[in-house]
Amino acid sequence: MSLAASILAFRRDGRILKLPPYLSALCILVGVVWLLVLPLNEYSRNTYVSENALLPGQVHTYFTGSEHNIFRAYRHEVAALVDKPLDERTRRLGDILRSSGLKVSTQKYEYSSSGRIISGQNVYAILQGPRADATEAIVLVGAWTNMDGEVNHSGVALVLTLARYFKRWSLWSKDIIFLISGDSTTGPQAWVDAYHDSHSPASIEPLSIKSGALQGAIAIDYPAGPWGHRFDKLHIVYDGVNGQLPNLDLFNTAVSIASGQMGIGCTLQRMWKHDDSYQERLQTMLRGMINQGLGHASGPHSSFIPYHVDAITLQTVGDGWHDEMSLGRTVESLFRSLNNLLEHLHQSFFFYLLMQANRFVSIGTYLPSAMLIAVNFTITSIALWVQSGRARKEPTPASTDRKISEKSDMTVVKMDSMVAIVPEPIIAIVERKLFLPLAFVSSAHFLGLLPLYIFNNAPQGALEACFYLTGLLTISLPYLAAFTLSFFRRPSTQETTLIQCFSLLLLGMFLSALATLNFSLSFLVGLFAAPLTFVRPIMPARRSNEKVVGLNLVNPIVVIMIATRYWGADVVNVLVQAAEGWHVWGMWTQVVVWLVWWPAWFAGAVVVAGTLFSNDATETKEA
Amino acid sequence: MNSLQTVLFFAIALIALTSGEHTSNWAVLVSTSRFWFNYRHLANVLSLYRTVKRLGIPDSQIILMLPDDMACNPRNAFPGTVYNNADRALDLYGDNIEVDYRGYEVTVENFIRLLTDRVGEDMPRSKRLLTDDRSNILVYMTGHGGNEFLKFQDAEEISAFDLADAFEQMWEKKRYHEMLFMIDTCQANTMYSKFYSPNILATGSSEIDQSSYSHHADNDVGVAVIDRYTYYNLDFLETQVREPSSKLTMGDLFDSYDEEKIHSHPGVRYDLFSGGEAGARSRLVMDFFGNVQNVEVEGGFAGNETTWQEELQAIERMIDEAKRRHNESMVPLSQHPIENTERLVRKSVLKKEGAAKVNVDSSWGKQIVGAVALLGCLGVWAAGSWLEAQD
Repeated sequence: MSLAASILAFRRDGRILKLPPYLSALCILVGVVWLLVLPLNEYSRNTYVSENALLPGQVHTYFTGSEHNIFRAYRHEVAALVDKPLDERTRRLGDILRSSGLKVSTQKYEYSSSGRIISGQNVYAILQGPRADATEAIVLVGAWTNMDGEVNHSGVALVLTLARYFKRWSLWSKDIIFLISGDSTTGPQAWVDAYHDSHSPASIEPLSIKSGALQGAIAIDYPAGPWGHRFDKLHIVYDGVNGQLPNLDLFNTAVSIASGQMGIGCTLQRMWKHDDSYQERLQTMLRGMINQGLGHASGPHSSFIPYHVDAITLQTVGDGWHDEMSLGRTVESLFRSLNNLLEHLHQSFFFYLLMQANRFVSIGTYLPSAMLIAVNFTITSIALWVQSGRARKEPTPASTDRKISEKSDMTVVKMDSMVAIVPEPIIAIVERKLFLPLAFVSSAHFLGLLPLYIFNNAPQGALEACFYLTGLLTISLPYLAAFTLSFFRRPSTQETTLIQCFSLLLLGMFLSALATLNFSLSFLVGLFAAPLTFVRPIMPARRSNEKVVGLNLVNPIVVIMIATRYWGADVVNVLVQAAEGWHVWGMWTQVVVWLVWWPAWFAGAVVVAGTLFSNDATETKEA
Repeated sequence: MNSLQTVLFFAIALIALTSGEHTSNWAVLVSTSRFWFNYRHLANVLSLYRTVKRLGIPDSQIILMLPDDMACNPRNAFPGTVYNNADRALDLYGDNIEVDYRGYEVTVENFIRLLTDRVGEDMPRSKRLLTDDRSNILVYMTGHGGNEFLKFQDAEEISAFDLADAFEQMWEKKRYHEMLFMIDTCQANTMYSKFYSPNILATGSSEIDQSSYSHHADNDVGVAVIDRYTYYNLDFLETQVREPSSKLTMGDLFDSYDEEKIHSHPGVRYDLFSGGEAGARSRLVMDFFGNVQNVEVEGGFAGNETTWQEELQAIERMIDEAKRRHNESMVPLSQHPIENTERLVRKSVLKKEGAAKVNVDSSWGKQIVGAVALLGCLGVWAAGSWLEAQD
C-alpha cells in the first residue's frame, strides 16, 4: 500500500511534471545528432549486391565496332527530327524501330495543370524475347527531352541503336520495351499509367500493344548533340515520386557494372566532386533527403517506381574520355544482368540513404532519427494533456508558485486509518472542456484543404498572387483567430493547452507514420515544426511579439519562400511543378504541407497570439 | 573323401575371393539447385555423368537428377548446350543424356525413396536404384549447403542425419556393397559427419565454415560453369584414368587434391570402411567410377543360401522373442484368468482412468493457467480502478 502510495505521490511530483519539455528537447537533439553521425564509417555500410541472380558484369559486351557507325547515323536522324512537327517525329522514330524488326506503337497524351496543357506523344517498341514466355518485360527509356528541357540527341539515338542490337540476341528471358517518351516526366507517366490501365482514358491514349509485368527500367539521359560529346562520369538518378526509391540492388548493379566493368565513375545527387570525406558524404545524404522529401519526379525513371518497377536514370556528366559506346555497353551489361533475374528485385533495401556510390545506411539505422523527432511532439502532447487536467494554473515564476501554494486551502484526506493534510488544488479534479479545442484543431486541419485546392487548381498566372496572399493570410490569421476568440473570453488557459495538446498529438502521429513512408519529408517537417513543442501561452504576455515573429520564420509559406530564394528557384515555377506533381505524378507532398504541417503551425501560432489578446482579461479577472 | 575335401577347399577359396568383390556399379548423381545462376551445379553433375559413362557405367545404372534445364533456358546464349569450361570444347548435353529425375521431381523425399527403394509399384525401373549387396554405388551430390544440410531446390533441405539414416537403411536392406559418397557444396564435410553405416567412403569439398568456390566463369554464357572441387576431381579422372583397366587407387585420387587450387579443405572419411584408411585408399578408382564385370561363381550360392537360412532363423527367433515380450506385458491381465471378471473390468477401467487422468491433469493445468490469467486481468482491473479512486 505504501509503495503504491509513494508511486502515486510520484505522479504529483513537480520534478516529473517539469521533465517533458527537456525530454522533448533531448529527443530532437538526439534525432538530429543521430542523422549527423550516419556518414561515419561506424554507422554506414558499403553497398553490396544481394540478389544472386544479377551477376553484374559477368558477361562480355559486344556493343562495339560497326554498331558505332549505326549509332552515329541514328544520331543524325534524331538531329534531323528536332524541328519537325510532333506527328512526323513520332512516325519517323516508329519507322526506325520498325525497321529493326520490332513491334511499334505510339501513344498520345494530354494533361492540364495550372491552366496549361501538357501534351506529347510516346513511341515505343517491344522486342519479344525469342525464347521468353512474354510474362515479364524490362524497359529502356530515352526521353525526347531531358529534365533540363534539352533534346536528348544521343540518348534517343542510343536507344534506337540498342533496340537494333538487342534484336539480334536470342538470349532474352524477358521482353524488352524501348520507350521514347515525349518528355522526361509526363510522357513516361502517361505511358506507365496506361501500361497498368490506370490512366484517364479521356486525355491519355491506351497502349495498343503490351508485354508482361515490368521488372525494371533504365533511362538514358545523354543530350550530346549530333557531333557527340565524351563524358566523364555517370550520374545515377534514383529518386522516385513521393520519395520512393528503387531497390538498392538495381543501383548497386549499375554502379558495379559502370565502375567495375567499364571503368566509368559514378556520382549521385549532383555531387560532381566527391572525395569520400565526412562533409561530402553528409552533403550527398542531405541532398538525397531533400530530393526525397520534396517527392518530385527527378527523371524519366521516377514514374515507374510507384508501380513497384525499379528504375534509374543514367545521366552523362562532365568532359572525359568515355564515349557513347561505353554507355551502350554499360546498358547492355545492365540488361544482361536484369535478364538474369528470376523474380522481382526484392533481396536488397527499398529504404536507404546513399552517401556515396558505394556507401549507404538502411532504414533500421536511420529511422530512429525521424521517429525521435516525431515522438517529441507526442511527449509534449501527453504532458499538456496531464497539465490541462490540473486545477493549478501553470506555475511560471517560482516565487508566485510558492505564494499560491501557501495561500491555497488545505484539506484533510482520510484513507483507511491514515490521515493526511494536502493542499486542495492537488486533489481537485478539473473537468476538461473539450469542445472548443477539438472543434478548433479539426477546423484548422480542414482549413488546410483551402490552400491545397487553390494551389493545385489556380492558373499559372494567378499562382504568384495566390502564394503571397496565402502567406499574408497565414501570418495574420492567428491574430485574427485569437482576436475573434478573445471576444468570447475564449480560449481559457485550459482550452489553449488542449488546443496545443491535440494539435501536437496529431502532428506526432502523422509524422511517425510518415517516417516509415517518406523518412526525409517526416524529418524535415518535424524539424521545422520543432519550435511548436516549446511555445506556451505564458500569462504575462512578455515577448509575445518576438515569439510570433520567431514562429513566423518557421511558417510553411515563409520556409518555402526562403528555400526557393536560397536555391535560386522561382516560386511560381516551384508551384507549377507542384501542381503538375499533383495532377500528373500523384505527388503527395502538398498534402503533408497543407494538411499536416500548416494546421500544426497555425494552432501553435494561435496559442502564442492568444496571449496578446485574451490573457490580460483573464488575468485581471482572476487577480 | 579326399577328393571331396579338395572340392570343398576350392569352393571355400572361391567364396573368399568373391566375397570382397562387387558385381555391379551404380551411380547416383544429384544436383540439388535450380535457377540460371546455378548453371555450374548442373554442369558439375553432367560432367560426372559423362565421366562415369565413359568409364563404363551404363545409363541404366546411373540415376541422374537435374532440377533445372540449363540447356533450354532462354538465358543460355548457346541453346541446347551445357558446358563445363569456358573453352566450350565439350558439350555435356550433346547426345544421349538420360535424365531420370528432372525439375520438381528432384525432392528430398524422392531422393530418399530412391536410395531406400521405397517406391510405388508403378515407378518405372529406370527410376529405381536396383542395387543389391554386391553393388558398389557412387553417390555424388552438389548444390548449396550449410552446416549438416544440403538445400534441395528452393524450399527444402536434406540433413546429414537424414542422409545417414537413409544409408543405414540401405545397408540393412543389403542395397550396397561399398559406397563412395562425394559431395561438392559449402561446408560439404559436415554432410558425411553423421554417417554410421559400414563400407562408406566419403569425401567432400570443404570443411565446416568453409565455402566451396566456383572454378571459373564463361563470360559469354555469363555464369560460373564449374566448381573447383569437381573441376579437379574431373581433371584427375580425365587425365589419369584413361581407360577402364586403370589401376589407380582412391588414395591416388585423394592425394591429387591440392588445397591451393581448390581454395578449401577437402576431407575424406575412412573410418567406416572395412580395412580403414589403408583398405579404402587401396580401392581402385574404377571400383566406383567404372563398371566391372565380376561374375559370381556357383560356389558362392551355397554360402549365400546358408546365410540366408541363418537369417531366416534369426528373424524367426526375433519374432518369437517379440511375441514372448508382448505376452509378458499382458501378464497382469492374463495371469488370473479365472478370477472374478468384476475385478478385471475394474482393472481395465482403472487403467483407462489412468490413461484419462493424464488428459484431465493437463486440462486442469490449462484451467489453472486460464484462471490465473483471468485473476491477473482482474487484479490489473482492480488496481486500475483503485488508482482511479485515489485521484
